[in-house]
Parts: sequence; C-alpha cells; structure tokens
Amino acid sequence: MMKDPFGGIILNIAFRMLVPFSVVYAVYVLILGESSPGGGFQAGVVMGFGIVLARLILGEDTVQFNIQAKNSLALAGFGTFIYALAGWLTLFGGGKFLDYSFLPFTAEHAHELHALGILMIETGVTICVMMTILNIMDVLVRRSEDDGSVQ
Amino acid sequence: MQIYTIEALLLVFLIFITASIIYCRDILSSVYIYSAFSFCAVLLYLMMGSPDVAFTEVVVGTVSTIFYVISLKKIDRWCK
Repeated sequence: MMKDPFGGIILNIAFRMLVPFSVVYAVYVLILGESSPGGGFQAGVVMGFGIVLARLILGEDTVQFNIQAKNSLALAGFGTFIYALAGWLTLFGGGKFLDYSFLPFTAEHAHELHALGILMIETGVTICVMMTILNIMDVLVRRSEDDGSVQ
Repeated sequence: MQIYTIEALLLVFLIFITASIIYCRDILSSVYIYSAFSFCAVLLYLMMGSPDVAFTEVVVGTVSTIFYVISLKKIDRWCK
C-alpha cells in the first residue's frame, strides 16, 4: 500500500478503502456464487472495477498491479481455456462435456465434484471478464491520447 | 397494494429518465442520468424477486458509467 499521500485526502482514503474491499468482495461473490446471488460474471466485473478504480486514482504508470494490454488479452483467452479445460477433464473422465460427475478427482460424493466443477468454470469466467474489462479500458484510454490509432 | 404503487412510480420514473437521456444536449449529463436509470432498474429487479439480475445491473451500470465518461475524452461533449 502507498505510504505517502498521492492526490488529496479524498482520493487517498477512497483508494485505501474501496480497492481492497472490491477485490476481496469479488472473491466472496465468486466462492458463494452457488448458494447466493452472484457468480463468475459479477465477480469478474467487481474485481475489474477495483483495478479500474486504482488505475483512475493513481494513474496508469504508478499503479502497482498494472496489467498491460497484450497481457490482459492473453489472460482473457486463458480464462476461456480454464472453462474449456473443465469440459475436457470430464471428457477424459469418461462422461459428456461438462458432466461434473466424471471429473478425475477423488471425492466422497457427487455433490463435491459438482461444486468443484462449477467453481472451476466460474474461475475461468471471472478471469475472462476481468481481463476483458481492463482491455476495454486500455483501448479507450489509448485511443483518446493517440489520435484514433490503436497500437 | 402499496408495492404495486411503488412499482408503477418507478416505471414512470424510468420513462421520464429515458426521455431526458434522449433529449439532453449535454452528453456528460446524460451519462449521469443513465446511472439514475440503472438505479431505478435495480430497484425494479429487486421488487420482481431477482437479486441476481439486480446485482449484475449494479456492477455493469457502474463500470459502463466509467467507460462512457472515459470515452467522452475522444468525442465532443455538447450535441450540436
């Protein structure tokens, strides 16, 4: 966390309170998405909102967990890959695509495998949505600076 | 019966907010009014018993407001 103030007391306090709360609350929404409102998409948007807020307050150069445009695009594809990997694991286990009872993990009941598979695909959706939001913001900011040309 | 009154009031609010978004000359103001539209839509979704959709509307309304304000750096603020 930042030691010295960086832009007025309101921005300072807002950064210190809102950004960690957004990221932790996104993990809460992701984990409890099965039994309560929420899920992968909402968790991804809340987590991306935390990083977008940090980037808006601190500026793009000084923010510590900054993600470049090409990395965010690659990580969005990686999230989609995690989703597909859950389906492929069930295929290798002998079931149909995304049939969670055939996941190749050891569990006592089928409910645990079901919860594990849903958590896996929701993690993939979270990473994909979060990185897509960061990439959209990168494109918007760069277009406004660079006379319409996207690098 | 009172819940229907509040729901009808919110629907009328939605109509007025949408009309003011369309006819506003200042695009920055219409972006801010759009967040009011999002808030009324969230209350309606909660009354209709779908907190999942309401949560999605909250987060997407917030992030899309940020994106609209950022994209105003590129285009002109006032409608001619």
